[in-house]
Amino acid sequence: MDRALHARLETRFGELLLGPVRQRHDETEMRIGPGSVPEVLRALHDEPGLRFELLADLCGVDTGTDLQAVYHLWSETTGDWLRVVADGLPREAPRVPSITFLWKGAEWLEREAYDMFGIVFEGNRDLRRIYMPDDYTSFPLRKDFHLPDDASRSPGGGVRPMEQVGRPADATDETARRRSNAS
Amino acid sequence: MTTPTRPSLDDPNLTIPVDHAGIFEPIPMARTERQQEFYTLRDGEMLLNLGPQHPATHGVLRIVLKINGEQVVDLDPVIGYLHRGVEKLCENADYHQAICYTDPLEYIASLFCEWSPVMAFEKLLDVEVPRRAEYIRVLAGELNRIASHALYVGFFALDLGGITPILWAYLERDEIVEMLAALTGAKLLFNYFRIGGVNGDLSHDFMSRVGDWMSRAGRQVEAGTALLNENEILVRRARGIGVLDRETALRMAVTGPNLRASGIPWDVRRAHPYSVYPELEFDIPTRREGDSLARYLLRVDEVKQSLRIIDQCLHRLPDGPVMAKLPRLVRPRPGRAFAAIEGPRGMYATYAISDGTDQPFRMRIHDPSFIHLQLLGLLTPGNLIADTMAINASLDPVMGGVDK
Repeated sequence: MDRALHARLETRFGELLLGPVRQRHDETEMRIGPGSVPEVLRALHDEPGLRFELLADLCGVDTGTDLQAVYHLWSETTGDWLRVVADGLPREAPRVPSITFLWKGAEWLEREAYDMFGIVFEGNRDLRRIYMPDDYTSFPLRKDFHLPDDASRSPGGGVRPMEQVGRPADATDETARRRSNAS
Repeated sequence: MTTPTRPSLDDPNLTIPVDHAGIFEPIPMARTERQQEFYTLRDGEMLLNLGPQHPATHGVLRIVLKINGEQVVDLDPVIGYLHRGVEKLCENADYHQAICYTDPLEYIASLFCEWSPVMAFEKLLDVEVPRRAEYIRVLAGELNRIASHALYVGFFALDLGGITPILWAYLERDEIVEMLAALTGAKLLFNYFRIGGVNGDLSHDFMSRVGDWMSRAGRQVEAGTALLNENEILVRRARGIGVLDRETALRMAVTGPNLRASGIPWDVRRAHPYSVYPELEFDIPTRREGDSLARYLLRVDEVKQSLRIIDQCLHRLPDGPVMAKLPRLVRPRPGRAFAAIEGPRGMYATYAISDGTDQPFRMRIHDPSFIHLQLLGLLTPGNLIADTMAINASLDPVMGGVDK
């Protein structure tokens, strides 16, 4: 955990942050609104005390209520991974500015997030499906996209029956909830 | 009613529609700015389809090439033929099951594909891995890295027209694979790492094989690469082809040997140390040229460093358990974890979110092959069609990892 980075981020991005900067293990996490993505990432990339030059990952996340675009960055100025979460993208029209102006390599990562979650990255000049065929209409990694069989959804699925005897008491409720979700 | 007859080329009245002349698939409707640019053909340009079933594409990869004569003007990789939805499958399996779904991602470096999810889950659970297990992981991982690089060297030469190196590489790899089979019980998809350790301690069979192999591995690397390093055909076709410079490499989010061949000494093992790598002595080889040849030579240097690491692991192996004490069904507290490791192709990373149940709520797998295949469209234009596959081979994408 890099306490100094925590302080630097809080002072630099104070009003742009949604909630406090969080740290756990070797990760620092900051939450921002989707609109401030280009501004914040450009500052993180360029400013001398930050210099997060390496884009480690870009992905989408479905929290169940809304969507997120999550960026992981690396810098030689800190020993932590930095996670920037663009939070609160509405399910119906998730839009977030593209970061291809900083990392051209994000183009395919954004295409993947678009393909899997339907997040529209404004400014990406090649935003089309990458894994699924062009005429596909669903977004498979969203939580409301269920797999056709729910065999894998049972708690302890794959655990041998003998070992299921000692499973937690709440397992049956959970099964019922998951089954009803699946159907 | 008349039966329709097939048009015959002997028919003097036959006319071939101009927009289909030479192209048997209609040009798709442009949806994006980039597609519009790609499918606008200037004078003398034509489209050529390569793959998906082509022996030089390292899996099921289709590339639409825009060519002018023998020169590639632009290209558009079409992927997804191997897409299995591993992330979705993992989200519908429990934490232990999810690990075996990640094995087939990069089937020639399976241990690395397991390593990053296992590390992410350990972070979620706050588990401390026993030191002996960490050493075994590094030992097995470096062996797997050498096996993967051996195949790289073989396939790189094969794509440039040499048959012998791939046969030698398979011989070399087979020895390592047999060793790992003695350790893990499988030759390809090991499924060996567990949350909190590894599945089973070192066996006598494995140790005697490693010791035997280590006594001659260095010489074998020299012998195998001497065939290529001084081969004029290989050197001339690889030098100065597909040059990737420092700034572009960073802008393209490249990691691993491809980044180090462009002169940036960035290696997760040193940049963000994990496991027992801080205790081990090894160098990060770098090269400045950034061309296909540099990428090949760099991997050969890496094999030598891996041999050093294996040697140290064998000498320093501590005693103790190989698994932390954990319940069969794990339920981490709600939280998020990101873990990255350095594999033979670059940074493999996993971002896992727990919601308190026994299944990961979201499991994101970052694979370096995906990023490196994207580079192909940047490095190839201006080169000859035959060099497309040579550049692709030098970047070393594995389609199982690209398509997830």
